[in-house]
Amino acid sequence: MSEDNKQNDPIMQWVTFRLGDEKYGINVMQVQEVLRITEIAPVPGAPSYVLGIINLRGNVVTVIDTRNRFGLMSKETDDSSRVVIIETEEHIIGILVDSVAEVVELRASEIETAPNVGNDETSKYIQGVTSRDNELLILVDLNKFLSDEEKQELDMF
Amino acid sequence: MQSEKMGQQVVQQEIALDSYLSTLLNEIPSNAELDKQEIKLDIKPQKVKQLKTSSQVKAKVAVKLVNKESEVTKVLKPLAVMPDWARNEFQALFFKVDKLTLATPLTELLRTICIDKDPTKIPGQPSWFMGLLDTHEQRIGVLDTGQLIFGKTIGQQRNLKKKPFQRILITADGKWGLACDEILSIGKLEPDKVRWRTLRQKKPWLIGTVIEELTAVIDVNHLVPHRKTS
Repeated sequence: MSEDNKQNDPIMQWVTFRLGDEKYGINVMQVQEVLRITEIAPVPGAPSYVLGIINLRGNVVTVIDTRNRFGLMSKETDDSSRVVIIETEEHIIGILVDSVAEVVELRASEIETAPNVGNDETSKYIQGVTSRDNELLILVDLNKFLSDEEKQELDMF
Repeated sequence: MQSEKMGQQVVQQEIALDSYLSTLLNEIPSNAELDKQEIKLDIKPQKVKQLKTSSQVKAKVAVKLVNKESEVTKVLKPLAVMPDWARNEFQALFFKVDKLTLATPLTELLRTICIDKDPTKIPGQPSWFMGLLDTHEQRIGVLDTGQLIFGKTIGQQRNLKKKPFQRILITADGKWGLACDEILSIGKLEPDKVRWRTLRQKKPWLIGTVIEELTAVIDVNHLVPHRKTS
């Protein structure tokens, strides 16, 4: 591939994780670290998508129930469960996932827009989809993972 | 006078077929419909009398009469509402969703496939959108035909884990897949063997009924959603 093409079609790295039967990807640049499951302290009165808070080296980090956010049935955590610490535009949050898979490289041209047949609000965090190893990888835009109102709510914990 | 009588007959036949199909499609009334019924029962006749003056009632009756006349005129011109493919004899695919047999013209379909793996669910989408499936170098959005046809309340009662759909009909544009239980056959249909629905404000995808088999003829273009980009 020529230099021009490389510039027009940049490569991005994505950390992939599993939730139920599906595989998702998030921008590697926004991932700070991946933790094994630790004690998550529930927060009284927190919205359903908030699992609780953890103490990460003296900092309080809110952990989001990603299954709840994606409309999936809840599941007991197990040895494969991980909390991925991510940095969005304004917050550092943890997202609980069933397992973390790998880091993949994708060209921008490989990413297709996902069809949106529902409410724009609920699926705006889906950046696109791509085919990988015979299955579809759903790419998530973490900056749109929470609405402005939800981000404000997080400040209260 | 004679044409008026004919018009009435046509309307009566259409009402009978509509009522037959409505029974098939709405075996269980939705919660919303039940709520409406309850609201209707709460209205006291005396209050209604107070609200409507005699002139308002007359005006309403007049409007109703005008509407009826225009409905009869529409019914007498089925050609005006028939899709292009229905002007001549056409080939239709007969398929089953639950216990209901449906027919759709072959020209609106690309192919049919077996469901050998589950579609990839996309978060935040309506329940009738089953997900995306890569097939034959195409990515299709798979739709729960049961929910689209029977409505959300009845359609969602089906447990797809226990009773999954077996086949998918892919639309002619290759973008959508309609999940169904069984492909029955391909048959030729004569336009005059089909009672075409002329009033399609409700269920615009239900365009007619094969008179002999009482099979619903559907227009898949009106069943699939308009694709938006996120």
